[in-house]
Amino acid sequence: MEHLLAFFTIFTHPQLLLLVGLGTFAGVYVGAIPGLSVTMAVSILISFTFSWDVYPALALMVGIYMGGVYGGSRTAILLNIPGAPSAIATAMDGYPMAQRGEAGTAIGVTTTMSFFGGFIGILVLALAAPSVSAFALKFQPRDYMLLAVLGILLVGSLSQGSLTKGIFAGALGIAIGAVGRDPLTFAERFTFNMPLMESGISFIAVMIGMFGVSEALLQLHHVGQPAIKQKISRIVPSWSTIRKHLPLSLQTSTIGVIIGALPGTGGDIAALMAYDHAKRVTKKPTRPFGQGAIEGLVAPETANNAAVGGAFIPMMTLGIPGDAVTAIMIGALYIHGLNPGPMLMVEQPNMFWFIVGALVMANFFMLIFGLTGIRLFTKIVAMPRPVLIPLIMLLSIVGAYAVNNSITDVYWMLGFGIFGYLMRHYGYPLGPVILGVILSRLLDDNWRRAIISDRGDLGLFFRGIFTSPLSTVLFLAVVLIFVSQTPIWRWLKARILGQGKRSVEQ
Amino acid sequence: MSQHLETDHHDGTSDATPGGYEDQKRPGETAFAVIMLLASLGLLWNAYGIAGFTSLSSPGAIPMATTFVMVVAAAIVLVHTIRLPKATGETFVKDILPGTVLLFVVFLVCYGVLLEPLGFILTSALFLVAAIKVLWRRSWAVTLGVAAFSLLLIWLVFRIVFTVLMPEGVVPEAEIIQTFRNLFTGGAS
Repeated sequence: MEHLLAFFTIFTHPQLLLLVGLGTFAGVYVGAIPGLSVTMAVSILISFTFSWDVYPALALMVGIYMGGVYGGSRTAILLNIPGAPSAIATAMDGYPMAQRGEAGTAIGVTTTMSFFGGFIGILVLALAAPSVSAFALKFQPRDYMLLAVLGILLVGSLSQGSLTKGIFAGALGIAIGAVGRDPLTFAERFTFNMPLMESGISFIAVMIGMFGVSEALLQLHHVGQPAIKQKISRIVPSWSTIRKHLPLSLQTSTIGVIIGALPGTGGDIAALMAYDHAKRVTKKPTRPFGQGAIEGLVAPETANNAAVGGAFIPMMTLGIPGDAVTAIMIGALYIHGLNPGPMLMVEQPNMFWFIVGALVMANFFMLIFGLTGIRLFTKIVAMPRPVLIPLIMLLSIVGAYAVNNSITDVYWMLGFGIFGYLMRHYGYPLGPVILGVILSRLLDDNWRRAIISDRGDLGLFFRGIFTSPLSTVLFLAVVLIFVSQTPIWRWLKARILGQGKRSVEQ
Repeated sequence: MSQHLETDHHDGTSDATPGGYEDQKRPGETAFAVIMLLASLGLLWNAYGIAGFTSLSSPGAIPMATTFVMVVAAAIVLVHTIRLPKATGETFVKDILPGTVLLFVVFLVCYGVLLEPLGFILTSALFLVAAIKVLWRRSWAVTLGVAAFSLLLIWLVFRIVFTVLMPEGVVPEAEIIQTFRNLFTGGAS
């Protein structure tokens, strides 16, 4: 009963409701404007809302998150430019539809499917999180450690980039997180004897640099791209269209929730995997994939919004972020003096139910804003980049400065901005860096706890891993990710699959 | 997921499709990989200095393990990168670090230097005018107008709604706000 009340907090407080609405509205547009991403918006926002209470701050962020994951689809459909990373797959069939003059249908399908996917994600979150958190109380320190490592590795292994670069990025993040005085022994780590480094590097400066400034610098390459205007017809899709794609959308929502719930991987990866899945299972698409198949819209859009709810599962139950945005939200909770993890669910279940309520509301707002306001939308998206880019930079600086009122943070932010810009150019993923920074403390603490409880004996530590089924599974998953990237795996695959292939060819 | 989905956006906007090329190296990629390896080695040495090999639970254990992973990963990346053929038609100056990007880095550093002495409003005004003028190449009237309008908007939202405190510098912001408050309360009473 109490939980139900917490769930309804959002509906009974007009101020919070307004903030979710405002956040969702802002999110839809932030997502839609190429060059502005949800990760960027949330990382800049956390520095502005840190003086607020937790609930209003969370309400705003949840709204932006939900809206932003959806918003990217608009520009993907209309301009063939994914407004946000999670909409990359949407452009592949959305834009061809717009070229045929079916932009309205495409937007309508995307919106309703995002709503559907979002709802499935929230449902799974509400049903699964309480039991996961009860289970999580039994987690040993080494399990936390393994989960953190797994989360950092997953981004590199499930994306199209190189795992080695992902591993490098993750390790770098852990090292950045370790800078400063060790909280347990007070030993200096990576301070290079500079007093400035003793308190560590503000993770907000790292985040804003990596996702704000580096993105803005990157956008300087595309400054000349003109905004294209499109006429949009009827957008509310027919019931038969929705019903026809219901089975597929259920499957892709499931993919979305699972990918979202895996530590580290979020909507962008979920959308690509769902698109891949749709291509494989759809026998008779409305049109061939890549030429305007509705299935090609349904799959990524259900999956990326379903991933939102999914990403909250490890965040709320284990304190391990489900993706980059939830990593930043964990940072926000830290700032508010809360410690996400199984104890938070036990001590403050209301916080969890409040977030679920806010997500539900954000999902409805997304549907409303998605099916209306097209005219306003075309105006906002047409905002010239030469104005937009300086504004992003200005906001990044203000954000980095505001948290500690320190100019040093601004320089850190700029440094990481330039570094992140180069990393993007050379194919190093940025998500693992942020995950590493956020998880550094958790990894360090749990490793030390685990090894001290095993009396500093590595043999005992490994015996511990193989006597607990959970640790064994986690450990094997970590090993498997490594092996899957080595020549041994390719050789094995060739041995097993290659023969089958050859016999077909002959 | 073997095929690359987007050919035009290979600049790393997302972790799902990071930038770079799979089978070619971009200009400066080798140098970047070398720097990463050297930096990792430096950090590993520094991590060794924290507690050495005293115990597995020392404050230096995780830093040493992570920097060791960094060294190994950076070395693999470097070896891999050296072997790749160069990307055709790309130059460092044109595709990686064009003049505009460098200019903006300079702008941002200047912003950081001027922020505390000049204050938020003046520094931001200078930055916005310079940045928009360089990128947009419109008349001064348009540039100044747009810059002033966006600055006012940002200032209102962050100073009034989010109550973020920025350095005041030479503009007596607090007095101005107070004057306005007095004006309104004075008018009301």
